[in-house]
Amino acid sequence: MSEQHDHGDGTSEFDPTDPKHSQFDLVREGARRDGVEIVHYQPRFAVAGTKREKRIERMIAFLLLLTGIAAVAFIVVYVAWPYEYEQGYHLDKLYTPLLGFTMGAALFALGAAIIVWVKKLMPEEVSVQDRHDNNPNLDERALTAATLMSAADETGIKRRPLLKGALAIGAAPLGLMALVPLGALIKDPHPDGKKSPLFTTGFAEGVRLVRDDGTPIRPGEVSAGGLETVFPGIPEGTSLKYADSPALLIHLREEDAADFKPRKGFENAHYGNYFAYSKICTHAGCPASLYEQQTNRLLCPCHQSQFDVKDSCRPIFGPATRRLPQLPITVDEEGYFVATSDFKEAIGPAFWERP
Amino acid sequence: MPVLPKIKPAAVGNWADDRLDASTPLRRVFNKVFPDHWSFMLGEIALYSFIVLLLTGTFLTLFFTPSPTEVVYDGAYTRLQGIEMSKAYDSALNISFEVRGGLVMRQIHHWAALMFVAAMLVHMFRTFFTGAFRRPRELNWVIGVTLFVLGMFEGFLGYSLPDDALSGTGLRIASAIIYSIPVVGTWVSFALFGGEFPGEFILERFYIIHVLILPAAILALVGAHMGLLVKQKHTQFPGPGRTEQNVVGHRMFPGFAAKAGGFFMLVFGVIAALGGLVQINPIWLFGPYEAAVVSAGSQPDFYMMWLDGAVRLMPAWEFRSFGYTIPAMFWPSVVLAGVMFTLAGAYPWLEQKYSKDRGHHNLLQRPRDAPARTGLGMMAISFFIVLLLSGGNDIIADKFDISLNATTWAGRIGLFVVPPLAYFFTYRICLGLQQHDREVLAHGVESGMIRRLPSGQFIEVHQPLGEADEHGHTHLEYVGAAVPKKMNKLGAGGRAVRGFFIPVEKPADVAKSIDERESKPSELTGASSSDSGNY
Amino acid sequence: MSASAASRVGGRIRKTAGKRPGRAGRLVRFVVLVIALGLFGGAYATFAPTGQADETSSSIAVREGQKLYNEGCITCHGQNAQGVKDRGPSLIGVGSASVEFQVETGRMPLARQEAQAARKPPAYNDEQTDQLAAYIQSIGGGPQIPDGDLRGDEALGGELFRVNCSSCHAFSSNGGALSSGKYAPSLEPANDREIYAAMLTGPQNMPVFGDNQLTPDEKKAIIAYVQTQKTDADPGGWGIGRTGPVPEMVVIFMVGIVVCLFGALWIAGKS
Repeated sequence: MSEQHDHGDGTSEFDPTDPKHSQFDLVREGARRDGVEIVHYQPRFAVAGTKREKRIERMIAFLLLLTGIAAVAFIVVYVAWPYEYEQGYHLDKLYTPLLGFTMGAALFALGAAIIVWVKKLMPEEVSVQDRHDNNPNLDERALTAATLMSAADETGIKRRPLLKGALAIGAAPLGLMALVPLGALIKDPHPDGKKSPLFTTGFAEGVRLVRDDGTPIRPGEVSAGGLETVFPGIPEGTSLKYADSPALLIHLREEDAADFKPRKGFENAHYGNYFAYSKICTHAGCPASLYEQQTNRLLCPCHQSQFDVKDSCRPIFGPATRRLPQLPITVDEEGYFVATSDFKEAIGPAFWERP
Repeated sequence: MPVLPKIKPAAVGNWADDRLDASTPLRRVFNKVFPDHWSFMLGEIALYSFIVLLLTGTFLTLFFTPSPTEVVYDGAYTRLQGIEMSKAYDSALNISFEVRGGLVMRQIHHWAALMFVAAMLVHMFRTFFTGAFRRPRELNWVIGVTLFVLGMFEGFLGYSLPDDALSGTGLRIASAIIYSIPVVGTWVSFALFGGEFPGEFILERFYIIHVLILPAAILALVGAHMGLLVKQKHTQFPGPGRTEQNVVGHRMFPGFAAKAGGFFMLVFGVIAALGGLVQINPIWLFGPYEAAVVSAGSQPDFYMMWLDGAVRLMPAWEFRSFGYTIPAMFWPSVVLAGVMFTLAGAYPWLEQKYSKDRGHHNLLQRPRDAPARTGLGMMAISFFIVLLLSGGNDIIADKFDISLNATTWAGRIGLFVVPPLAYFFTYRICLGLQQHDREVLAHGVESGMIRRLPSGQFIEVHQPLGEADEHGHTHLEYVGAAVPKKMNKLGAGGRAVRGFFIPVEKPADVAKSIDERESKPSELTGASSSDSGNY
Repeated sequence: MSASAASRVGGRIRKTAGKRPGRAGRLVRFVVLVIALGLFGGAYATFAPTGQADETSSSIAVREGQKLYNEGCITCHGQNAQGVKDRGPSLIGVGSASVEFQVETGRMPLARQEAQAARKPPAYNDEQTDQLAAYIQSIGGGPQIPDGDLRGDEALGGELFRVNCSSCHAFSSNGGALSSGKYAPSLEPANDREIYAAMLTGPQNMPVFGDNQLTPDEKKAIIAYVQTQKTDADPGGWGIGRTGPVPEMVVIFMVGIVVCLFGALWIAGKS
């Protein structure tokens, strides 16, 4: 059934209250006034009540029913299914998957129902709308421009240079005033020069090397070919307060220790075959702790920087540019490892002020 | 029993319009015409994902505590019993194991975040390849690029909130990236973290940025983005009846709005299904963030993974002099990201300068008709993919038995070799497609029927697309619309062959059709897509 | 030295110097000796640990192990397990733990020289493995895996795992890449004894975690953590390998976006 193409000739001639207009006539007129022409409008079914139409209706009804069932299933699962965690393969492990499945099914079925309804039951339509763009109304533009510019004239700012200057001098600091409270965030990174946080860690002369649980370490408690993560033996030394301090205590095998090339100034920084290096990678700060005991390489898993332990942790591959700083260590009278000083340079990733 | 007043819709409408006088603008919105093409719906995926994020995110805020204060875990997950962790991590574990439905909400939230950024990416490339960013839509393009960047950072903040070991490592790297900025790096980092990494404030600051500041910014920009779209009307592909001055399609109400609503349900359904059926971000396996803990195979989520890949590939080149350092990290993180986003945002003007095309465009271009732009886009995509793969190079090395060092070198070389190759091949392919379009326009569609001429020569019969001259050539101009290349794409009566994956074919009942023809010599009824025959 | 002092010190001094015992005295001494020997030997036989019987069977194992060694291991590890340059390291001091680990996981015998020995189906059965282990333990000593239950406190194990192990083996225990083609293998196929042996002996590039560094209890804790994590179902659905953002990215593009694309195609088509 095609509608007669009855374009109204002018808005003033179309009377919406006229009873002889059908609803679609009104729609068409409204669209016309909005610049839209409905060029093709055709119900999907020429004859109402065909078998095919009924089949589609049933399909949509089925999809909506599915939505309802899935939604109810969701509610039932949510309320009644066991969800407390239990190690292993138990019903609780199905809680989240069932919720996702039912929710997904409900939403998907609803979406499908709506789309089938639109595509298969609602009338086909093609409309054309005028854009009316790229056609700036220059008259309007001139009027608006004049309105804007008159503001300047009304204030008379152009011919009042004293006020112009005063406004600038007065307003600029006000603008700054709004931004300045953000300055409360600012914290000086180098209040103490070389003793600032970026250049110091929790280690210092006499500070013991301790494990994650706080216990100190003796030589012999790290196997040859092994390594231990160590922290400064001070209060909260293992916490994030000293996130820059973790170090690796490496016990090189005899034959590897013989090949060790100490760095200039660090000839006595090790204790026998025990060497301590900062665990914080000098590239981006991840723990560089993959130790390959046969090739004596430390690999950082984040960006694959590799450090040669026998060459005092010089970077040999990847984006890191500087050695891992060495912690000078010795053993105290009770036989536990201690640092003889802090790291001699800033640990971890580089920054502008780092020489 | 109180009797409810009978409210007629007309009464409500009158009540509202008496006070608001909104009939005209409302109808104008209802009658807006939107063109129909699947590729125009990609931005909607992003929009609906964002709505899902808002809904699930609100649920999560009811249970999450962004506090770095240390507590001892006493929940259901046995392998973390008695472990010290931040309240943030503890509350995230609580949501995952203690809160009814908490895990599925958390997972839907995270999958929706991935979908949001992935959809923006796909939408951005559609807009790019079809030239929709050209005048007058440059501003909308810039808003879109900004939305993408905001989405990236919003996601980063979001997955850093639980303070697990994986995202904490990412936060450490972020701090290193900020340090690498010359002159002000340490000042900016100390301002953000409130001191040296990690400080006491970062989680709470991230939280307020993640739940308030960035969502507000994104909502505002999405509003502007869609407002501009409605005002300027959507672009459309060239085709029959389509000009630069009109839009051909459906009116928004009810057809287009219903389709949009249906699509919303579909997208939501997919995200919900993923949220329940596929595990994402299993923070209980990672443990709480500690400075000395890291995992092999650590990556950020994909929208940051490309930057991580660049950082992995960067050679160890650092500038040191006069007691100052420009760290190697600076270039592949801050500079690369800055350059890429600036190039992306400025692209409409760059193209205008190069192509000298400053015209007003409402019609889209098929990618093949702008081979240089399409080539550039493929260059960008291949660059992006090489970086993405490099961001996961340790996983690739482990799962496919490739040397880790080799994957790094493959990335370093590939980054400079693959994009130009992609440009070259894309350009040639576009030219080939253009040629084929014009060939079909001139010679017609290949029908697949072979005929032998009296001279003995075999030819294929072509179906001309218009009036053919004596040589069988038509003289049709290419107007930028898709050229039908197969026999079943011809005809204005809709698709001749039904079925999506496999054709729905019913053998023609020859006897019946002969009877019909003999008994009812009327013309076939007009094309109704429901009862098309097969020819 | 006086007699009393000597006796305090415990030395014995013959009270009668120079005289030798008579015939009866010698007979008495002989009988006393026999009785003493008999008593002593009987007491020993009664109270001595029954390892005496094991000692015999273990020496059989050592002998069999040596035979197996001479067939399958000697080419790379040398006649007395002292190693062959550029082919195989010395096995002196590696202990039965090393042998049990390497042979039970099939890494040894090595298929070919490459960046890393890979796990493969073992060439020897359990009994043969024990024999080889006994042989190597007998000629050089070294670390041994304790018998019995090797599980401990899984939460403590998690802490230790994350600080010591996850950087190579990943949070998921699915392994990770090392430099230049080496890798830390997935712990998925490993049983309790293999994990214990690996920590104790530090095979190939894995660092050594001796018992004075990670105590046996700590090792058992780590094993409990790894094994319970392995056997725990993923609460969030399909775990996609527990490998993190990389498979998540694949899923969102290959599944999420693709399904939505098909939805868009269905709704709007290519009109």
